[in-house]
Amino acid sequence: MAHFLFTCLSTFTVVCALGVVLNKNAVNGAMCLLLCLAGIAGLFIQLHAYLLGFVLLWVYAGAVVMLFLFIVMLLDMQGGAVWRYRAFHVAASLVAAALLVCGLDMLAVRGRFEAPAPAGPAVGGSMKHLATELFTTYLLPVEVIGFLLLIAMLGVIVLSKRFEGSEGAP
Amino acid sequence: MPSDPQTLAHGIAASARDFDLCLDLAAAILLAPLASAAAITLFLRRRGGAAALISTAAAAAVAAGALWLAFAGERFTGSKEWLRLGDFAVSIGFKYDGLAALMLSVVGVVGLCVHVFSLGYMAEDASKARYFGGLSVFMFSMIGIVLADNLFMMFIFWELVGFSSYVLINHWHERPAASAAAKKAFIVNRVGDFGFLLGILMCYGLQGTVNLGELAQKAAAGHLAYSRAIPLLLFCGAVGKSAQLPLQVWLPDAMEGPTPVSALIHAATMVAAGIYMLCRIHVLMVPCALEVILWVGTLTALYAALCAVTQSDIKKVLAYSTLSQLGYMVAAFGLGSLDGKASGVGAAMFHLTTHAFFKGLLFLAAGSVIHGCHHEQDIFRMGGLRRRMPLTFATFTIGVAAIIGMPFLAGFYSKDAILYLAFENNGAVFAVLAFTVALTAFYMVRVWKIAFLGEARGEAAAHAHEGGPALGWPLAVLAALSVVGGYRSLYPRSFEEVWSLVPEASGAAQGIILATSVAALLLGAGAALGLYRSAEAESAEDALRRRAPGVFGALVMLKESFDAAYGYYVAKIQQRFAMVLNFLDIVGLAGVVVRGAAGVAEMGGLGARALHTGRLSTYVYWFLGGVVVLWVLAAGIL
Amino acid sequence: MTQTLDSYVMLSALLFAIGFFGVLLRRNTLVIYMSLELMLVASTLALVAFSHFNDTIDGDVFVFFILTVAAAEVAVGLAIIVALFRMRQTVLVNQLDALKH
Repeated sequence: MAHFLFTCLSTFTVVCALGVVLNKNAVNGAMCLLLCLAGIAGLFIQLHAYLLGFVLLWVYAGAVVMLFLFIVMLLDMQGGAVWRYRAFHVAASLVAAALLVCGLDMLAVRGRFEAPAPAGPAVGGSMKHLATELFTTYLLPVEVIGFLLLIAMLGVIVLSKRFEGSEGAP
Repeated sequence: MPSDPQTLAHGIAASARDFDLCLDLAAAILLAPLASAAAITLFLRRRGGAAALISTAAAAAVAAGALWLAFAGERFTGSKEWLRLGDFAVSIGFKYDGLAALMLSVVGVVGLCVHVFSLGYMAEDASKARYFGGLSVFMFSMIGIVLADNLFMMFIFWELVGFSSYVLINHWHERPAASAAAKKAFIVNRVGDFGFLLGILMCYGLQGTVNLGELAQKAAAGHLAYSRAIPLLLFCGAVGKSAQLPLQVWLPDAMEGPTPVSALIHAATMVAAGIYMLCRIHVLMVPCALEVILWVGTLTALYAALCAVTQSDIKKVLAYSTLSQLGYMVAAFGLGSLDGKASGVGAAMFHLTTHAFFKGLLFLAAGSVIHGCHHEQDIFRMGGLRRRMPLTFATFTIGVAAIIGMPFLAGFYSKDAILYLAFENNGAVFAVLAFTVALTAFYMVRVWKIAFLGEARGEAAAHAHEGGPALGWPLAVLAALSVVGGYRSLYPRSFEEVWSLVPEASGAAQGIILATSVAALLLGAGAALGLYRSAEAESAEDALRRRAPGVFGALVMLKESFDAAYGYYVAKIQQRFAMVLNFLDIVGLAGVVVRGAAGVAEMGGLGARALHTGRLSTYVYWFLGGVVVLWVLAAGIL
Repeated sequence: MTQTLDSYVMLSALLFAIGFFGVLLRRNTLVIYMSLELMLVASTLALVAFSHFNDTIDGDVFVFFILTVAAAEVAVGLAIIVALFRMRQTVLVNQLDALKH
């Protein structure tokens, strides 16, 4: 059963990913990304990382992809871009991607990551455990991340304000 | 209370027994002209009168200091390390012995006379300050050579002397002849100095030291390494500076400078520096080197005397006369030792001293003549100056008498010393030198007769007049010295060290020498007086040229041949070589190396520039390339 | 048949490669950015898989942080793209070559 679920989810994810990349229309691409994220959330849950799966859906799919959609629609695309790709570019990109896959695969095979599925309940399933870890062992990164978010917020405000002021009407 | 100045000064020195006082005085003598030159350069460029006074004051200080040291009779050395490179050290130091005492006194006295003379001679010159600055620099450099205790220091001051000579010859630089003459002097000196430097380096390498005191000690202990090259190379310096064959071409041209300069530099002191240097290094001499030196000196003496016979410019005659007398000194040095003493040194220095006096006198008198005839220098346009310029006539006569070896005057004694030495050591040289004595008498009397006796031949000579006291006093002083300069007992005791080396004829040899010199003198003088008889002296043409044009032409050719040869060499060979090098420089260095390097850098730049496509995908591909390289490294393939 | 770690890693690699393919090929800046996010998500998948199969919690925690950072990064990045659009009136990468030479 798990295997079947895995196969379905993975196929779905891959297809959606291809959709993101190959879609002419950017909005369609964003929607595909949404579905892709849903698939990955499912995979997370299958790996017993429940909190993470949901967080993925809420934060990533819910906020980030929405942000993408807003911006795509804001920037007033003239329909989709004309598919004027030179064969050379396509071939080169395919070769590059294939290289990546092979490389990662080689690493994986050499590393011999053979490990059986764990017997007991997964560690990641316990939210309490996750919370404890976050606030004890990984407290410093949490604080730093908070700081980082603050800076990002300030940065975004500055970036949008500055050009507005210097250019006059947007 | 002793009244004799010698004992008095010695007493003073004795009370200041630490020779620091003498060292300080020597340093003061060295630096006073330098201070004067610095003051003139920095502050007194436009104030010629003040510059003249300061320079003369410095010269007076030098003369006084030199005489004081000579009479005090101290010997001292002192040195200070100046530059050190690992094992090698150059030091600045003084070596004051009898030789230095003598030379310093000569330089001081003649220098002071020339400075005082210049006060009058250059009174109306526009660039007086530059002239006196040059004189001060010269005094500084010359004293440096005299006092130097090692060859490196001597070389430094050697070059400085050459520089000041350049500045002074080039005083009237608007005249192209003067500029050309200055350049020629400097370049020809450079050729000699190249050999000199090689000699110094070889000396340092072979003997391990260039300090004169240490070399003398090594020689006394018998530790000097045998070398023929070192003395010959060092002699090259003397060939250049003292204008021996084949580098004598610069001295006649150097007469383009003002006459006091010619008196000081090109007669009495700078050209004598070569002889002085030879005497300083005489411990390094070996017989075959002395042989070479002897013949170079002898041939120079003969050659110059022959050339002097045809000259019509009064200064050029004196210049060739200087060349000839320098040849005598070099030949004397080359004759080597007699009776176990270094008689060559003694004879050369004796003649150097008397020559400084009478040649300086002759040049200054010629200056007075030129000044009086409003810068007329051709003797065939002078004449009858005996009545118009009596003091000059008297002093010039004394000078002529001294140089031709009139008995009881200074030149007689020094020349006879050389003739005696030649007679004892090398008969052929004796014959040549005796013949040269005759020639000297001939051309000197010729000049004396044509310029001073008879009737005036030109406008300027008809209205000639004496200069002021500034011109007169130095003439008188030098004339007095030319008369008494041969009596060695009159000199301060410090010079005994050198005078004891002068060869003294005795017995039969004395008679032969005396007879030879007087006979040669009479022969030459008589021939001159006969050839240039009064009736023909009225013409503006040389009697010899009229009577024996072939001989005259041959003698002129003798003079021109050296210049022509050098001119040919420079124009044909050196110029072509220089052009080849220029071509190599333009094509090879500037083109290939410099432009090439720039071109390679440019190519690199263009290549790097091409990487900046500005397109994101390009950068990502490069990024992928980097990742692939990292993978390959990690996977251990590479 | 139970999944081994290998399959998860392979999947992650595949997604990563697809994302990379998109970055290389597409001209639209926003689509490139989306592909970039895809690559990021692929790496989080690998991390969670490792964490699961090695019985540790560290992978999950790390993914937590990655998600946060990714969100911040997207915000700032899109702000930049908007500002760029205002200056250049385009988001096509081949027209944004002011850094050329």
